[in-house]
Amino acid sequence: MLISFAVVPLFIMFAYSFQGDDGSGFVGLANYARFFSKSFYLKLTLKTMRMSLLVTVISLLIAYPMAFILAKLIAKGKNIILMLIIIPFWSSQLIRAYSWMNLLRDGGILDIALQHVHLSSGEGLGILFTQTAVIIGLVHIFCPYMIITIYMTLEKIDDSLLEASRSLGARPITTFRRVILPLTETGIISGAILVFVPCLGSFVEPRILGGTQGSVIGTVIEDQFFEIYGWNFGSAIAFLLLVMVLASMGILSALRKRGVRING
Amino acid sequence: MAKKLFGWIYTGLLLLFLYTPIIVLMVMSFNRSQYNALPIEFSLKWYKALAGNEKILQATINSLWIGAITAVLSVILATSLALGTNLAGRKTRTAMQSLVMLPLTMPWLIMGLSLLLLLRSLGLDRNFIVLLIGHLIISLPYSALVIIARVRDMGKETQEASSSLGASDWTTFYRVTLPMMLPAMLSGGFLSFMISFDNFVISYFLIPTGTTTLPMEIYSSIKFGFTPEMNAVATIILLASLSLIAVTAAVMRSSIRALFKSDKGDA
Repeated sequence: MLISFAVVPLFIMFAYSFQGDDGSGFVGLANYARFFSKSFYLKLTLKTMRMSLLVTVISLLIAYPMAFILAKLIAKGKNIILMLIIIPFWSSQLIRAYSWMNLLRDGGILDIALQHVHLSSGEGLGILFTQTAVIIGLVHIFCPYMIITIYMTLEKIDDSLLEASRSLGARPITTFRRVILPLTETGIISGAILVFVPCLGSFVEPRILGGTQGSVIGTVIEDQFFEIYGWNFGSAIAFLLLVMVLASMGILSALRKRGVRING
Repeated sequence: MAKKLFGWIYTGLLLLFLYTPIIVLMVMSFNRSQYNALPIEFSLKWYKALAGNEKILQATINSLWIGAITAVLSVILATSLALGTNLAGRKTRTAMQSLVMLPLTMPWLIMGLSLLLLLRSLGLDRNFIVLLIGHLIISLPYSALVIIARVRDMGKETQEASSSLGASDWTTFYRVTLPMMLPAMLSGGFLSFMISFDNFVISYFLIPTGTTTLPMEIYSSIKFGFTPEMNAVATIILLASLSLIAVTAAVMRSSIRALFKSDKGDA
């Protein structure tokens, strides 16, 4: 029953996307045509994808060393650190976005601190209400997912495997590239799903941290529903977003399946 | 040794990145100045302002109610689901479980707006029941993960022993099964409560006009800029969720671990 509440509305959304916002009933693909005919929306789509991709890549670059350290270098206190990484998960996304706003705004703490060490000119940082701020905020929220998924695959790698590679004369970089990386591929892809997909649909962080520069697909959908009352056009955009979400999930899971097969 | 040192430095930097904004926010909530002026002048001014803010208090009460109802319903559903699918065949089990986990991967934005459209196409206004259904859909996966993991670990032997010793199904359930599951049900309930309490997007789309929840109040006041009163609200929420986490962790260490174990399988 509950499941039908999750799935049926998606079809209704799809149906809505074929109707006109002026009450004209069935308009066929007009809403979609409107989306694809304006370069604004295409640019927006690209921007959303680029933002999500950047967040995913940065999270990966931050998370991989951390997961490696937790799995292979540190033995004592590992569980406490894992706990500490997981805890911020459970604080509200609004509060975390807001806390960055606090930190990054001109005249905010970071600005004051940098002025004290003469790194900032006193004209403000100019970070808040830019793409950079949005990306920082999203990485802050999603990086822990990536750490956990990679950590779980790294932990399963037997140390003797790494020793074998070393004793057979492989340099550390070769061991990493030929042994560790392929074995953690599934963790990386799971992490990428958990980071990339929610980023596509985010609108709170872009709105709060990005200001006017922050508009992405999510914020446009929000506007359609809450400001402009273009519900049908909004549904069309939401449906396209859903397609993007499903497509990226499909591609990533296919990649993961392939990875599982190769690794046996 | 050098490697280890590097490891600890990196860990420190990462924790710094994760915690600095949150800690700064907490510290600033005790600062008298509205503009974060340093040095900090200790004051409870913002907390006092908060205590007199009827709107926020009412929104908090709403959020607590919605969270509590969602938690109870989602534990009941997750428990019956876990016990039911445990009896069913392997195929039904995996199918049911992946269906329950589906909302984990769907952006809340789409979930919220499609439920809103469902309401409108039925000719109904936004109402409390659909709001609850929305909250239930997004929090069920979390309690289900914990409770299903527990049922899987439990095995069927104890229950079989109980019934072979002559206990009726009902007696077995509430004398044997229920006590064994109780810690998982509690921590599943806490998780669902926190997901629902913190959720903004679903409420934003589905709440009846005129009512608000705490996250919605926060959103509307920070959307247009910086308001120091929110520092105090955020600090209280953070401290409250930290204590909830501590309780949950204490109640069921293993189920938290199980949560992340099964996360990998499903994600």
